Amino acid sequence: MSRRTFLKRCSLAGLGFAAPIYWQSVLRATEKTIEAAGYPGPYYAVFNASGGWDTTYLMDPKGVDGINRLYQQSDILTVGNHRIAPIAKHIASGMSNEDFFAKYGSELRVLNGLDLSVNNHTPCARYMATGKLDSLAYPTFPALVAACHGAEAPLAFLTFGNYSATGNLVPMSRVPYLQSLKLLARADSVEGGDNPYQDAFVSDRIERALEQQFEARVSDTRLPRVERSQSMLYAAQANSKALERVVPFIPKELAKERLSQQNDIALAAFKAGVCISANLSIGQFDSHNNNDIDQMKLIPELLAGIDDLLRKAEQLQIRDKLVVVIQSEMGRTPNYNDGNGKDHWSINSIMFLGPGITGNRVIGATDEKQQLIPVSAATLAIDNDGGIRMRPEHIHHALREFANVQDHAFSQQFPLEVPANEKLENVWS
Amino acid sequence: MCDRIQRHELLALLNLNFILLSSAFFVAAVGKTAVGQTNSSSSSATIARHFGNADLFEAEVWAKVGERTCLRCHNRQSEAKESKFVLEKSDDSLNDLAMLAHNHAAFRTMATIVTSDQSVLLQKVVGGLDHGGGQVLQPDSTGFKILERFVLRTMSPTGEPIHEGETDAYRPAAFFDGVTMLPPSRLLRRVTLSLAGRLPSTEELKAVEQGGLFAIDSILDSIMREDAFYTRLKEGFNDIFLTVGIEDNAETLLSYDHFEKTRLWYQTHDFSHLPEAEREQAGWKLAEVYRDALLREPLELIAYIVRNERPFSELATADYIMVSPYTARGYGIYDEVKDQFKNSDDPFEYIPARLHALKGRDGKVQESSTGWYPHAGFLSTFHYLRRYPSTETNRNRLRARMFYQHFLGIDIMQLAPRSTDASAVAAKFAIPTMQAADCVVCHTTIDPVAGVFQDFNFQGELGPRDDGWYKDMFPSGFEGEDLPEGERWRATQWLAERTVKDVRFPLAMVEHVYFILLGRKVLQPPEDIDDPTFGSKRRAYLEQRKMIKTVAARLTASSFNLKEAFKAIVATEFYRADGVASATEHPQRQAELDDIGVVRLITPEQMERKLNAIFGKRWGRFQEEYKILYGGIDSITVTERNAEPSGAMGAIQRIMANDVACLNVGPDFHRPAGERKLFSGIESSVVPGDEQSNQNIRETIVRLQEKLLGYKLPLDHPEVDRVFQLFSGIIRDAKALPNFEPRETYFCGGREDFHVEDPHYTVRAWRGVVTYILRQHEFLYE
Repeated sequence: MSRRTFLKRCSLAGLGFAAPIYWQSVLRATEKTIEAAGYPGPYYAVFNASGGWDTTYLMDPKGVDGINRLYQQSDILTVGNHRIAPIAKHIASGMSNEDFFAKYGSELRVLNGLDLSVNNHTPCARYMATGKLDSLAYPTFPALVAACHGAEAPLAFLTFGNYSATGNLVPMSRVPYLQSLKLLARADSVEGGDNPYQDAFVSDRIERALEQQFEARVSDTRLPRVERSQSMLYAAQANSKALERVVPFIPKELAKERLSQQNDIALAAFKAGVCISANLSIGQFDSHNNNDIDQMKLIPELLAGIDDLLRKAEQLQIRDKLVVVIQSEMGRTPNYNDGNGKDHWSINSIMFLGPGITGNRVIGATDEKQQLIPVSAATLAIDNDGGIRMRPEHIHHALREFANVQDHAFSQQFPLEVPANEKLENVWS
Repeated sequence: MCDRIQRHELLALLNLNFILLSSAFFVAAVGKTAVGQTNSSSSSATIARHFGNADLFEAEVWAKVGERTCLRCHNRQSEAKESKFVLEKSDDSLNDLAMLAHNHAAFRTMATIVTSDQSVLLQKVVGGLDHGGGQVLQPDSTGFKILERFVLRTMSPTGEPIHEGETDAYRPAAFFDGVTMLPPSRLLRRVTLSLAGRLPSTEELKAVEQGGLFAIDSILDSIMREDAFYTRLKEGFNDIFLTVGIEDNAETLLSYDHFEKTRLWYQTHDFSHLPEAEREQAGWKLAEVYRDALLREPLELIAYIVRNERPFSELATADYIMVSPYTARGYGIYDEVKDQFKNSDDPFEYIPARLHALKGRDGKVQESSTGWYPHAGFLSTFHYLRRYPSTETNRNRLRARMFYQHFLGIDIMQLAPRSTDASAVAAKFAIPTMQAADCVVCHTTIDPVAGVFQDFNFQGELGPRDDGWYKDMFPSGFEGEDLPEGERWRATQWLAERTVKDVRFPLAMVEHVYFILLGRKVLQPPEDIDDPTFGSKRRAYLEQRKMIKTVAARLTASSFNLKEAFKAIVATEFYRADGVASATEHPQRQAELDDIGVVRLITPEQMERKLNAIFGKRWGRFQEEYKILYGGIDSITVTERNAEPSGAMGAIQRIMANDVACLNVGPDFHRPAGERKLFSGIESSVVPGDEQSNQNIRETIVRLQEKLLGYKLPLDHPEVDRVFQLFSGIIRDAKALPNFEPRETYFCGGREDFHVEDPHYTVRAWRGVVTYILRQHEFLYE
């Protein structure tokens, strides 16, 4: 069946309205546009420090007014244009800020003083992930970019936790175990081994019959949910065959660290061209009790996980195609509570690195009370008088531009409505 | 269509009355502006215009601005109740014509009052004229433009509608017009598989054949007495409450302070009757079963209430918990209740029981005027309180939030109000949650309920704070009523008594049942008023709300017998919708029908039960290695099921289809014909060719489809043709090979136990057919 014929049939059946995404996916799968090498990149990895990180122990240090107990103002370190909290002597394992910024500071773009407007986990996680506070419908950035660039890839949007809404644009894939990948990749073989269930000609006939059935149903009279789900099902099964490409990139040994385990799955999927974006996540940052102990354990673990991803990406020769976003749903208060913990704080930070992002730069700032300082949208310089309060919608607007999806129909479907004079200029260069 | 005609007639009458009544009022209110309107008000043309305006008011002004923005404060209960602009609320916004007429009049009045040459309505919404609510619309917003057009229209001497794309040629029919429903026999299969994990019995099929839809009701009564239903019920409610999601060993639910001597009873259990080498293993097993039994308790409470048709309000008010012989030992009450068990060795036999007021290690006994622990259903179970823990700064607010979500259907965090600057608010006010308007709006509701849980510590154990409850929070209570000091010892009971009387409680319970049956939450009102299908989405939302309210009324009338809610939802068009009589091309109609029908990806647990029902045994992998991969939950970190299949899930579907066909087809042919589950009407020697053989093959295909997919097609149906071509094509391809093995493969042909001969390749061809069928939408979706 030609693309035109298929389009016509889909259109006649209203499929384009009911399921624009899967309509595209199915088209692509049917026409076998997934080349042997798969999706070529760029790949997007979003690290989530789930629970709310203490930015003052990372990229936005404060050494005054008892905001921190582990260092003073004079201890704050500088790496290029970055100011970082000195934590090396307070950590037992993982990677220190000192090492992380020494290694990646020249590539890192840091944004401080991000206003979330609220300070509860659920809305903050949603806001950071989607750029939209007051809607449950919006997709997260990794889901959106996966939908725009390759919804037909079998693991287009891979998630290991955190807020993962898809806006119904792309299915969400959970692959928690590395071993599972091999089984999935060899779905037509007994136990994922070398013995196929069916002779090749039988498999071919089954696939052809399924394809014919799908085509026949396009002209049926169906409820929108039925149309949509039939398309999704067909796409899921048809596209899943591309998982075979993952096999050569599955590491032989299981990593011990929780982020490394996620990295291995994501990297194998990236390298195989079956994944566009991955939501990587570690939790327990919500340090209402004993903030310093928890953050000194978790921040180094997060940084070590990022380092692990980047090192392995280098080995797989996809480092130059890997965009990394490092975020958390909120910051922590500039004071300690009675349990030596810190509570939720609506001022946050975010970091980026990857191809097309000029590093060694910090945008925005907070003052000595950890309140944000407005920035000029045009110059990104501090502008107390005419500046704007940078919020997630501003960042997501810039991210959409960066990923070249801002004009895609899916992005239009979920507009961020940033006023023209608030659009951040030259965020990445 | 009748509904629509009646509605239009009523609208016309209301408009006529309104025009006659209001014209004089207009003269008084706005002077010369309104005078012109009186001239032609009696003409039929004017009635038609106003009829159009009333519809327009409902679809535009009311739906997009009034209901969403103004009504929040301008109603009889809220901040603006003393203002001159008081609107009416209704449970049925689409059809409550009296409400619409009142609100239309109120808007017209405000629109036509003019100061400084501008309508008061337009000045107020942007924060002018000291509007108490400040600016609620931006001057360039869609909402403001809608009001602007409304004012122009209202002020217009001719009353002409202002057409700027705000009217739509789409005239909706009755909501389910043209939607086809599942025939009763297929509805029966859906409910037996969904709720009891089995296929319909012959008797049930006969009953439905004779009684149609009416027979389903009594069959449901029967299904809801089966144990399998309670497995499904508990699974469904765990998806909501997640109470099995306890990370620590379950015995830690029982506090060290109160159950120190009993909670670890399994560690001293006597295994002397076993060989020494087996004792350690037996001890581990005992601990595992005990922990499992503890985790199940809250869901067993639900099962007990429903099974015994007790009021489901006991979810909050039950003055008992469920204990098994194992868990009763943990609580230290085994000797008191052991005689009530039918089998005291069964770790999963549950009975209702009460705990005595808890006694701490220091000898202090929990305050209780009855001598009993003040049980309040889920609200006082250690599981629920542990699953939603607290911290020194959270102060039980998570528990309060979950209470609102689970018991009243209110998700407080769903659309959190944006503060202008949350960090500045936090810095400015000593107690922002009590002083800053941005915070108070939610905390005035949440914090009192948080205080109700004050006697429970962070982990959900009984353990009041040494310093008493926090003074910098709104006092403990519920919806404006303070918790009396004399009730504090039984605070959760006090809360429960009020909860179950709240009108939102039955609605929330029906929404839970809807979630269990349809696998998704009820619709939320549409948000985007610029969406061209906003009106249709709103209609879909309101129609569903109407259904939920109707079912809730039935639930309430039945003294909260939850079975009634299941039966009522199954009977609705929302559950039975199956297709459309003709293609629905209009985008508005598509939007209206977008969420109609079950169309639910079957969960891993359900899939196991379905495979068991059809093939006589479970596959096993959906509940083990593929559970999370196939979109299941672990109740701790993964708490929401995947509703749509990813590529990974597509791969699992292929594995399942391959493997289940492999495990069943060859062995089925190996059995005597009379004992076969799939191929009782055909032998492997039958190949396509002569008419009789072809007929036999087609009949077998139809039987397979009926058994596996639940529908029976005519022998000459295109889909039967397709499967016939698949079967015959495989055999043709095989015969074209130089040679092939004359037997099934080792893996699919009996392995070590036997060999399935396949000299014609028909067994493998039938395996191909079954593989194909198992990958169908009709098999994988409910």
